[in-house]
Amino acid sequence: MNPVINQSHISGKLFEFIEILRDANITISADEVIALFNAVTEIELEEKNIFRQTLKTTLVKDYTDIPVFDRCFDEYFSSRQRFFDGMDSDDLINFTDRVSNNVVNEIDSQLEKFIDSLDPAILLEKSAEEIMQMFLDDLPESDSSGGGEGMGIFRSRGGATGSYYSRSESGETDQKNMDEILAIIKNMINLKITRRNIGKTLKNREDFLLNKFIYQLTPQEIKEMREIVNRFGQKLKSRISLRKKRVKHGGIDIKRTFRTNLQYGGVPFKLFYKTKKIDRPQLVVMVDVSRSVNQYSRFMLLLTYSLQSLFSKVRTFAFISNMVEITDLFREMDPERAINSMFTDINFTYGWGSNYGRCFDQFIENHSDALTRKTSVLILGDARNNDNDPGLDSFQKIHDKTRNVFWLNPDKKHLWDWNDSLASLYGYYCKEMKEVNNFLDLSGFIDKLFIDTK
Amino acid sequence: MFTSVEEAIKELEKVKYIASKEIATTVYLALKLEKPVLVEGPAGVGKTELAKCIASALNIDLIRMQCYEGLDESKALYEWEYAKQLLYTQILKDKLSEIMGSEETLKGSIEKLTSSEDVFFSEKFLIPRPILQSITNNRRSVLLIDEIDKSDSEFEAFLLEVLSDFQVTIPELGTFKTDVKPFVFLTSNSAREMSDALKRRCLHLYIDYPTLELEEKIVSLKVPDSGPRMTRQIVETVQRIRKLQLKKEPSISETLDWTKALVLLGYQDLDPAIAMETLNFILKYEKDIKLAISQSKEVFLN
Repeated sequence: MNPVINQSHISGKLFEFIEILRDANITISADEVIALFNAVTEIELEEKNIFRQTLKTTLVKDYTDIPVFDRCFDEYFSSRQRFFDGMDSDDLINFTDRVSNNVVNEIDSQLEKFIDSLDPAILLEKSAEEIMQMFLDDLPESDSSGGGEGMGIFRSRGGATGSYYSRSESGETDQKNMDEILAIIKNMINLKITRRNIGKTLKNREDFLLNKFIYQLTPQEIKEMREIVNRFGQKLKSRISLRKKRVKHGGIDIKRTFRTNLQYGGVPFKLFYKTKKIDRPQLVVMVDVSRSVNQYSRFMLLLTYSLQSLFSKVRTFAFISNMVEITDLFREMDPERAINSMFTDINFTYGWGSNYGRCFDQFIENHSDALTRKTSVLILGDARNNDNDPGLDSFQKIHDKTRNVFWLNPDKKHLWDWNDSLASLYGYYCKEMKEVNNFLDLSGFIDKLFIDTK
Repeated sequence: MFTSVEEAIKELEKVKYIASKEIATTVYLALKLEKPVLVEGPAGVGKTELAKCIASALNIDLIRMQCYEGLDESKALYEWEYAKQLLYTQILKDKLSEIMGSEETLKGSIEKLTSSEDVFFSEKFLIPRPILQSITNNRRSVLLIDEIDKSDSEFEAFLLEVLSDFQVTIPELGTFKTDVKPFVFLTSNSAREMSDALKRRCLHLYIDYPTLELEEKIVSLKVPDSGPRMTRQIVETVQRIRKLQLKKEPSISETLDWTKALVLLGYQDLDPAIAMETLNFILKYEKDIKLAISQSKEVFLN
């Protein structure tokens, strides 16, 4: 292959790969693309690690995106050898004996062109078989415009005169070869389609998990979620801290300015400003950990703790029918383990089911020192009190002593106040009672907390 | 200048820095493309060390700037030497009045003054700070901007001019430009996220904890007195400890400290009892030490 074609072939691949990364929600600007193309000319592309690092170092600027990049890279650049998937090895050896690599390459590049010409939407909708059919139907035309010699195989597809490779005259072998070639083409199409859509697939999966009702998550998905929650938390954190940084300068610090400028005879050459204290909200989190809302509490706790450094103080309480402080537990262990050990170590239950009233009473009695005018209280629970005393007095006290009270309710809105739910009774004292279904709701809420509390 | 990725690895090894292929590739490209590098990763994996070693491998100056909250242009770029300016006006008072003396009107004297005021805002009264130094010294140098995440976002914004055009504008004097661009390394522990504009101008390098083989190589290069046997034992143990749920994982620098200490104490072999006694070299929290000891069966195998 002459170098010019080779170049354009490579840049085509790179552009396609960049597209995939963009699909997966990695931001890549023109600057990065230019850097990549400058870099590619400086290195030898043969070695995979160097190639990978070149792409990584020029394109991916956020280290939380690295796992996503790695996955896309592996999928995209290592899929070639899997053209032969689903054929047993004897066949394969036979096959490669008879057919030169050229044919495979030929088909490959023809396919590439064909798929390029298709509307991307079709790739998502149709199955590999359908696309193969379209590809084969398309062939005669492209042939007349001077398609590759390898395509001769298909000129009389279905017939037994497969021309190009059939040095043996036996029709039976031809048929077998035909089948094999078709199988390979199918594999190729499959791979090409998945490859083009890796980015989208990853992104879709993430969106799907973040949007899924938390109580519907399977254990497998919860495991998957952990990584996403982590990444998400980090992004949220840096976004919020960036926002916080913006308001920094206060007025002139007279004392310091005078003191320093004494050396210039009191002429204020250098000015000093008071640095405004960054206003970090204090947070009291109370989560209902009874079975009905358990799964929500878990994510809530995970999220609050990945964001802990943004708050000046976080105190966490869990309750079913007893209110227990679990702040220390999280200080000692990573949240995942803390949550798991929480249930084995601590006795939340007294009697049966959640008892909000009793818990609020206990809170006022034992922990009211946690409440100040700077505190935001975050309650997560379904407000289903099992017909116990609502403890409104205590709840009102919580409201009076703090800046604001937010309530996150996993119940659907139309179920609030139904049966034993006291949603609007408590809701009256809250700044907001909000329905949360999925992880996005949760994180969106925390994000908002930082804007509202200004 | 390195001529290939392999050579970069070799040259860095000569100055006792073991670079993985990833690191070497980024370094090589950064030098070739003359782009700054933003290095991120956990504390103690040798981010700062990398910049230092590149400077000594290429045998050029290292100009280092440590960032902190409140760092501003006057500390990073340049500062007018107010005291000196004041002093000179005092000393030159007579000379000044001599010049001014002939002028009758206020307007005339001000015009005269402005015509010569440039004297006081010339390079004589300028203290160049690290960034200006790296641009004006006309030799290639490595500019290390350490822990950029500790600085304020205003400072970061002002770095942009330097990083993209390698020029610095001083209002009184004009724009300083350089033909010999410095190699810029920015390190960050990601205490906060850098702005997109800054990231766009840099290559990005994430250095993680090294693999077993790499760490072994590093230790045996830096602490040759520890025999291959103990080195292996130490590195394996540290790698296992990193897998525990710790508050702070031991970094390479801690592995090195530990090895040095064990060598100094005269051990040739890391047996579990010694390891547990000296754990405080690699673990900095009481809780972590306790945890490691409670898991001793899995951690200390030799």
